[in-house]
Amino acid sequence: MIKRSTDGYRNRIELLQGTLDMLVLQTLQWGEQHGYAISQALRTRSGDVLQVETGSLYPALHRMERHKWIAAEWRMTEQNQRARFYRITSEGRRQLARDRSSWDAMVAAIGSILEA
Amino acid sequence: MMLGWLRFNRRKADLDAELETHLRMAIADRVARGESEPAARAAAARGLGNIAISKDVTRETWGWLFLERFGQDLRYALRQMRRSPGFATTVIGTLALGIGAAAAMFTVVDHVLLQPVSYRDPSRLVLIQESDGKSPQGSPAPWLDVEQWIRQSRSFQQIAFSSGLGGRNYLEGKTTFLEISGQSVSPDFFDTLGVQPRLGRSFIPETPGYAASRNAGLIVLSDAVWKEAFASDKNILGRVVHINNNPYTVAGVMPPGFRYPANAANLSPQVWVGMQLGDRDKGRDWNSDHYMVIARLRPGVRLATAAAEMATIQKRVAAQYTDPDQRSQASVATVKPYADTLVDADIRKALLALLAAAGVLWLIASVNVTNLLLARSTARQREIAMRGALGASRWRVVQQMMVEGLVLSGCAAVLGAGFAFASVRLLNRELTRHLPLPAPATPDAWILVALLGLTVVSALMSTAWPALIAVRAPIEPALKQGGLQTGAGRRHHRMRGALVSVEIAMSLTLLVACGLLLRTIWSLRHVPLGYRTDHILVANLDIPTFRFAGRNMTQALYEPLIERAQHLPGVQSAGLMSVVPLGGTFTIHLQMQMNGYAILSFMKAVSPDVHRVFGFKMAAGRYFDAEDTATSQPVVVVNEAFARLYSPDKHDPAAIIGQKLLNMRPKTPTRIVGILDDARQRSVAEESMPEVEVSIPQITPDSNFYNALEGIAMDLAVRTERPTSGMIPELRDILRQASPELAHANVITMDQIVEDSYGSQRLAAHLLEIFGFSALLLCVAGLYGLLAYVVTQRTREMGLRIALGAGRGNLLWLVMRQAGVMLLIGVAVGSGLAFASSRLLRGFLYGVQAHDGWTLALASVLLFLSGMLAAYLPARRASRVDPMEALRAE
Repeated sequence: MIKRSTDGYRNRIELLQGTLDMLVLQTLQWGEQHGYAISQALRTRSGDVLQVETGSLYPALHRMERHKWIAAEWRMTEQNQRARFYRITSEGRRQLARDRSSWDAMVAAIGSILEA
Repeated sequence: MMLGWLRFNRRKADLDAELETHLRMAIADRVARGESEPAARAAAARGLGNIAISKDVTRETWGWLFLERFGQDLRYALRQMRRSPGFATTVIGTLALGIGAAAAMFTVVDHVLLQPVSYRDPSRLVLIQESDGKSPQGSPAPWLDVEQWIRQSRSFQQIAFSSGLGGRNYLEGKTTFLEISGQSVSPDFFDTLGVQPRLGRSFIPETPGYAASRNAGLIVLSDAVWKEAFASDKNILGRVVHINNNPYTVAGVMPPGFRYPANAANLSPQVWVGMQLGDRDKGRDWNSDHYMVIARLRPGVRLATAAAEMATIQKRVAAQYTDPDQRSQASVATVKPYADTLVDADIRKALLALLAAAGVLWLIASVNVTNLLLARSTARQREIAMRGALGASRWRVVQQMMVEGLVLSGCAAVLGAGFAFASVRLLNRELTRHLPLPAPATPDAWILVALLGLTVVSALMSTAWPALIAVRAPIEPALKQGGLQTGAGRRHHRMRGALVSVEIAMSLTLLVACGLLLRTIWSLRHVPLGYRTDHILVANLDIPTFRFAGRNMTQALYEPLIERAQHLPGVQSAGLMSVVPLGGTFTIHLQMQMNGYAILSFMKAVSPDVHRVFGFKMAAGRYFDAEDTATSQPVVVVNEAFARLYSPDKHDPAAIIGQKLLNMRPKTPTRIVGILDDARQRSVAEESMPEVEVSIPQITPDSNFYNALEGIAMDLAVRTERPTSGMIPELRDILRQASPELAHANVITMDQIVEDSYGSQRLAAHLLEIFGFSALLLCVAGLYGLLAYVVTQRTREMGLRIALGAGRGNLLWLVMRQAGVMLLIGVAVGSGLAFASSRLLRGFLYGVQAHDGWTLALASVLLFLSGMLAAYLPARRASRVDPMEALRAE
């Protein structure tokens, strides 16, 4: 999903398909956010390892909105800027739970292979 | 849809604003961290990446992007068309021409040859006829034979038979007399055809025989008769109607469009009456009634099987004939699909040839357009490369090219459909003159849709393919070198050259066919007819016999009519003839014995003055004159063909004069008094057949053949010194005086009759002129287009050559040579094609061989010269390239 590898982004970790959705949903768990804040949150929480491109983020947001996992509305930020705020829906929470459990299962599986 | 689109647009604005906000926040963040404003702006923009792509990808998730792109592409395509209107016009016009011609011809052929009748499962209906095994024409069979067929055959589900009512039949309607044509039909007739009346019932099932039939006196009306004569009266069933004063009880009314015989579209509305076999059906001679036999094959029985069975049966049947002549006439029974018997063999051939021609024209048009589109897409390689460099995805570019193809072919499809409607209407008018079937008035929807579909697909392919190649080509060289040739380009050229050659070959085929037909028409026009055709007006009279029942029509109708016609102002002479030469409205065949000859001849009733109208010439003896009256010695005149065949002295045809022929009056032998020069009777292309003429003043109601000679049809011919058109109202007046029904007679000039007699040849020639000329135009345009493109592509090379010392003549020659090679290949292949295909035409050529060298040579030269002319323009351009400019331009 995070793609168009151009030479400037060598150090970036490619996210697995669908992982971005899960991370965005997880980020929205802590409260409503606009797109820029989501990208910043992902970057800081990953210790600057994950840099989500706008070319991936916004398509993902709009796709999830279509799936009704998240809802969006225009509001003012604290700096008095107009921004589009995304909020997780109950359907989104269920999706996140599903993503989480399959992610955990996969991590466990991969971990047991690597440690065997 | 509309709502969705509006929402899409609102969301697009939203997305723009959202990304804008993102950018502003990123800049603000960086500034807050201490970066300078411009540096922060640049870094944030870099971080945001390619905004256009982000937007595209995001919008794609909404599912509406394709529509937006389509709109963009559409606008772009329309802009392209406006920028090069010549190209667009050529492509659209070419395709439309191809579609129009092909749709029209396919419709006509489908309608006329493939599904001409509206009976149930018509492919299983066959016509059984007797013949001598030599002539292609079969003839109806007497009841005794039909009875054997019904008893002995196993191949048929039903065998029905019918015979025309004969003569003129007038049905007494509510207010008027309506002329009708009728068939007396066997009981299972409608079951065999598989069509039931819409109202009432068909005939009562019974075994045909001599016993009194329960169907005798019953009548089934066609929808047309029901409407015209009885104003669609629902209470018509069971009522008694009169035909020529004979009463019939109405049993049913057939559905609209039902017709039998099916090839009687030009005849009066039809009725069918129940059949009663009688004494005339107890023998097998010229006096017995003869029946058209139509049978339905059992399911699964093949035509060949049925034909084989009938051949065996007919051997036994023929053995029962006592008269050897008649036995030979009935020695073979032919079984033909009914639909095949409806259209004359030469019309059928003409239609098929025209169909092939239209198909070829369509192919040429498609090839031409493919070539043009290929050239254009290839020329736009640089543009495509540029778009690729700017980030357009391959698919996006291909899609855009395809939309252009779609727009072009879409316009062509609309225009082509218009052409198709116009040309079907045009064909319809021509065809109804030559065809006994109702011709289609609109193109068949399925054929039109199929052709349009094919056209659109081919246009899409020819635009998409070069685009696919172009996007796969590396971007850099195309951008750097501009118009320089790549390997793929050269391969394109070879292919496009081949396509042009194919076009030339197909065009030559059409031109040769067209040439052959033009020569045929020319030959036909120069055949000496044997009579004059100028300044003659002919009225075709259907004789309303019922008005003259019990009277001598010679005195009551014909003599007063001639008298009045001769006294019209401006009339030099007027005469009557059963049918004028080439008229084709009515034929009497005479079959009889004379001096041991079995005579087979045409027979006509004429008035003595008719030779002054037409200027017939005598080979020997005299024509009729005023001395030949009802009381004088009955005489006849024969033509040379008759004299040659049946003269008692093989070496002296004139010896036939004075011989006895016919018995015009009981016990008074008729003598031959003159021999007419041969003249074209039924068709300009046909040699004269034996003919006997009888003088109308000598015919009385007790004469043999009285009904046939005077009671069915007569042509009134007048020679005028005034323009013929001015005569028509006065002619109608005297016809109305003779009998009210005659006022509506068809009036036509003799010149027109001759023109109409060219029939299928003329139709084919006209259409092939159009097809051939269009093909020539298309292939010249194709050649020009290719060379013009090649020259543009090679401008730099040309400049280089000149700079290195090549003469301008050399360059001219370089391009012309390329054209010459394509033309020569095309002409060579085309000659082969023309040679093979002109065999198809052989059947209706006259005065020219199918493999006529001169026509081929002339067509080739014409094509070659037009091709070279088309090549000259780009070649001249090539030779005038300014070397400095060409080299600097790169």
